Amino acid sequence: MFKRLAVCAAAAMMLCSCGSSEKHQGSVFAMDTYMSLTAYGSSAEEGIKKASEKLNELDKLWSATESGSEIFAVNSSEGKPVSVSDETASLISFAKEMSSQTGGAFDITVYPIVEAWGFTTGEHSVPSEERLNELLEVVGSDKITVSGSEITLPTGSKLDLGAVAKGRAGDICADLMKECGVTSAVLDLGGNIRTLGTKPDGSKWKIGLRDPFSEGIYATLDVGETNIVTSGAYERFFEQDGKTYHHIIDPNTGRPAESGIASATVIGSDGRLCDALSTSLFVLGAKGAEQLYRSRHDFDYILVTDSGEVIMSEGVSGLITFEPGFGEKVSVVK
Amino acid sequence: MIRSQKFWVAVALLVIIGSAVWSYLTLRFWDSGSTVNIISDGKVLYTIDLSKEPDREITVEYEGRKNIITIKSGRIRVTYADCPDHYCISQGWGEEGSLLPIICLPNRLVIEPADSQLDGVAR
Repeated sequence: MFKRLAVCAAAAMMLCSCGSSEKHQGSVFAMDTYMSLTAYGSSAEEGIKKASEKLNELDKLWSATESGSEIFAVNSSEGKPVSVSDETASLISFAKEMSSQTGGAFDITVYPIVEAWGFTTGEHSVPSEERLNELLEVVGSDKITVSGSEITLPTGSKLDLGAVAKGRAGDICADLMKECGVTSAVLDLGGNIRTLGTKPDGSKWKIGLRDPFSEGIYATLDVGETNIVTSGAYERFFEQDGKTYHHIIDPNTGRPAESGIASATVIGSDGRLCDALSTSLFVLGAKGAEQLYRSRHDFDYILVTDSGEVIMSEGVSGLITFEPGFGEKVSVVK
Repeated sequence: MIRSQKFWVAVALLVIIGSAVWSYLTLRFWDSGSTVNIISDGKVLYTIDLSKEPDREITVEYEGRKNIITIKSGRIRVTYADCPDHYCISQGWGEEGSLLPIICLPNRLVIEPADSQLDGVAR
C-alpha cells in the first residue's frame, strides 16, 4: 500500500515538475542587436513579456541615434543642461567613474571617433591624423557633468552608452523576471549573457565562449546566476589597403585598440561592470587587465591573445572546459 | 608473448581506439547540432536539418524588404538582402555545427542553431 502511494506521489511530482519547467522563448530587436530571452516555468511567459517591453523602453531612452532618446537630447544640447531619468543619470555616473578607474581605457564620449571611422553607419574609412587629433579634443569623461539628474556636455562631445547599456539592461530584466516569479532564465542580449537562477533541474547553465578565430566556441563555462560579457575584434571590422580595422577604439589614441587581445570576457554579478570591463580589458591588454583585476577582485576574466594563448583569473578555473585544440597555453592570474 | 596472443592484443587495441574515435566524433556531432531555425520578426518560419536538406533558396520578406537564403551542401547563408549594410551577407556561410546566429537587423531576420546543447554563447 505504502509502496503504491509512494509510486503515485513520485509520478505526481514528476508531472508537476514537467509542467513547471516548460521552456518559453521570446526575442527582441533593440539596442542595435538581436536579443533572445529564454525562461522556464509557469511565470515565464509573463516574465518574457515584461522584459521585452522594458528592453524596448530602455532602447528608446539610451539610443544615441533616435531623436526622442535622452542620450540624443544630451548629445544635441549644445552645452545646456539636460534633465534625464534617474536610471540614465546613474548609468552615466557609473560610466564616468569607470573611465577614471580604467585610466581612460573605457570612455562613453568616444562616440564622435567611432562615427569618424564609419562604424555607426557602415560607411567605413580611415580618418586622417589631423581629423583624429581634432576629435580627441572633444573626447574625455571629464567633459561630462552630472548634477543630480541633470547632464551637461559641451558642444561637439557626444555620449554613447552602447558599452554599458546591455549589461545594465540584463540586470534590470532579470530583476523584473524575478518579480514575476521566474527562477530560471537565460537572457542573451546580443551576445551579453545574463543568467537567472539555475536550470530547472538545479544544474548549472552551459555557456559557450566564442572562438575569436572561427565561427565556433573555444570553451564552455558552467555557471549559476551571473553575467558573462565578451568583447572581440571580430564583431565589426573593415579592411582598407590590406589592413584590418576593428570597432573597439582606444579612447587615448582614437584608433582601434592594438593590445594583442583577440577577445576579452568578463564574468560577475554586476552586468554594467562586466559590460564596461570587457571593453576596458580589451583596450588595456594582458598586463593592464591583470593590474585592474588585482586592484579590485570583484570580477573574473578570460583573455584570448592574438596568438591563441588564454589568460584567466583563478575564479574561472573551476568553471571552464576547453574545446579540443584549446587550453594548451593557459596562464592563471591569482 | 606468442604470436597469436600478440595478434589478439593488437585487435583488442584497435577495437578500443576505434570505439573511442567513433564515440568522440558522434558526441561532437551531437554537441554541434545541424538543425537551424529561420526566424522573421520573432516568428519561426522554418526549422531545417542542414544535414538532410537539399540545395535550395528561400526568400523571406519583412515589410516589403527581402532576404534570399541559400542552402548548399549542408551550409546556409544569406546571399541577397535589400538592407543598407549587408552585414548578414558578409557573415558568410553558417555551417553544420556553427553556434553563431546569422542576423539581418534591418529586416529582422535571424538564422540560429535550433538544437544546440548550450544555453547561450557569449560573443
